[in-house]
Amino acid sequence: MGELELVVAERMGRSFAAHQFHQGALRVLRPHYLDDSGQVCYVVVNPGGAYLGADLFVLDLEVGDGADLLLTTQSATKVYRTPGSFAEQQMTVRLGEDARLELVPDQLIAYREASYRQRTHITVRPSSSLVMAEVVTPGWSPDGAAFRYKEVRLRNEIHVETEEGSQLLALDNLLIRPPSGDVTGLGFMEGYSHLGSLIVVDLRVDQALADHLHAATSGHQALTGISLTRTLAGTTGLVLRSLSNSTGELNRLLGACTTLLRKRWYGQEPLNLRKH
Amino acid sequence: MLSTRTSSSVTLGTAAGEGGCARFAVPTTPQPPSPATAGAGNYQLALQQLVDSALPTGAFAHSLGFETYVDAGVVADEAGFGTWLSAFISQSLTYSDGLAIRFFYEGVDLEELDSLLSASLLPRQVREASLKMGGRLLEIGAEVFPSSALELYRDLVTRGQAAGHQPLAFAVVARSLGVPLQEALAAYLFATATSLTQNAVRAIPLGQNAGQRLLRQAADGVAAVVEQIPHLTPDDLGAVSPGLEISQMRHERQRARMFMS
Repeated sequence: MGELELVVAERMGRSFAAHQFHQGALRVLRPHYLDDSGQVCYVVVNPGGAYLGADLFVLDLEVGDGADLLLTTQSATKVYRTPGSFAEQQMTVRLGEDARLELVPDQLIAYREASYRQRTHITVRPSSSLVMAEVVTPGWSPDGAAFRYKEVRLRNEIHVETEEGSQLLALDNLLIRPPSGDVTGLGFMEGYSHLGSLIVVDLRVDQALADHLHAATSGHQALTGISLTRTLAGTTGLVLRSLSNSTGELNRLLGACTTLLRKRWYGQEPLNLRKH
Repeated sequence: MLSTRTSSSVTLGTAAGEGGCARFAVPTTPQPPSPATAGAGNYQLALQQLVDSALPTGAFAHSLGFETYVDAGVVADEAGFGTWLSAFISQSLTYSDGLAIRFFYEGVDLEELDSLLSASLLPRQVREASLKMGGRLLEIGAEVFPSSALELYRDLVTRGQAAGHQPLAFAVVARSLGVPLQEALAAYLFATATSLTQNAVRAIPLGQNAGQRLLRQAADGVAAVVEQIPHLTPDDLGAVSPGLEISQMRHERQRARMFMS
């Protein structure tokens, strides 16, 4: 079990935690600043090292008006056997006006007989900027066989909030359930083992950006698709989905995308978290 | 009987602060068909017309992603298309179309379901295909199977409060005709499988008899998911497998193509 609350605010061009609270097996490391952009970087730590059956991890994030948060994890999220139940992470995120969140956790590894549900509920304003990247591995089992977990469910809801109310921009609902049939072949993993996802929501998302990201990703050893959501209150989502055979290749591919966005929109250098 | 229903609105809505967990309450009694057109058992011919491949919704123009596999040489024959169709039935048609139809029958708010489909059909061409065919179905429905429920959906679309998706347009018409849920699901899913198979017969190309063998096989897949759909949860709506979705996205960049999706 673990609970984490983090409210990031901005003062004179610098973002900082205006409120933080943690309980149980979740906490954040001391904040750091990777460059002089004012973006604050927090690293989420799960000292228990893993998610087990019936574990519930609740994260509540708020990035206030004008604030800028880079959130990552210290290491991969490992889900061990969850007999008769499932481990769950529930994350709620609210982004204010001109707020920015870069959410770049390490990969998810579901072990043999693991069930994992991750629900993320994000509310943005039309002027907010969201980038989230994620990698799901085929899991791990003692006999070396892949896809021995029971279920991985990653459900992201992104709402756009205006004075007129809140509207659903994107529902990204990924469900991989290996026992229900062959998940490795045509129509599922297409013979690949790893899955990467990138979601960008920003006023500046358009077809030209999709074309640039397509060009930036096409040289990688991966099968990649990019498409745009509908536009709500002026903001649009871009979804990139990629299949490959290693976490490293997907991290390079997703890194190429975040590098392009950081440079183009913020004049920032590529992300270098130097975690390991 | 009808008035009790209007007061109890069912919602799949999620509340901020609850981690995006979908809430759901299923009403205890099934929704009765609209009295204007109801006639138990009299819907058979209407349903046949509704799911006939001659119904001009433009389904002939959509591959919903299989053309990407054909272009890549991954789907090149009867067996290959059968594998794709089976995945498409057990994924997209089950978790998106089929589940949306079921929730509508169970009284979930139409506007909310419409919004959930717009948000969960992430590949642009597939979203546009659903709206294009949905729009045609709403038009045709208004002329040949008019009902107050259908007018309501058309009004929502006209006012921009809904987008008008194909499975929901079908569900509104089918329920107004008194078609029971199971039959509506089977008819809709098999009709979609049929038009996709006809498109594959032209595009790959396959023989006419191969097309019929594929449909016979698809019938088993449809029957299986019609059994499965009632057991799914609100969280399942819009669940996708990465492969199908990537191919639907990649279709946008395919150079020569026969289909709009």
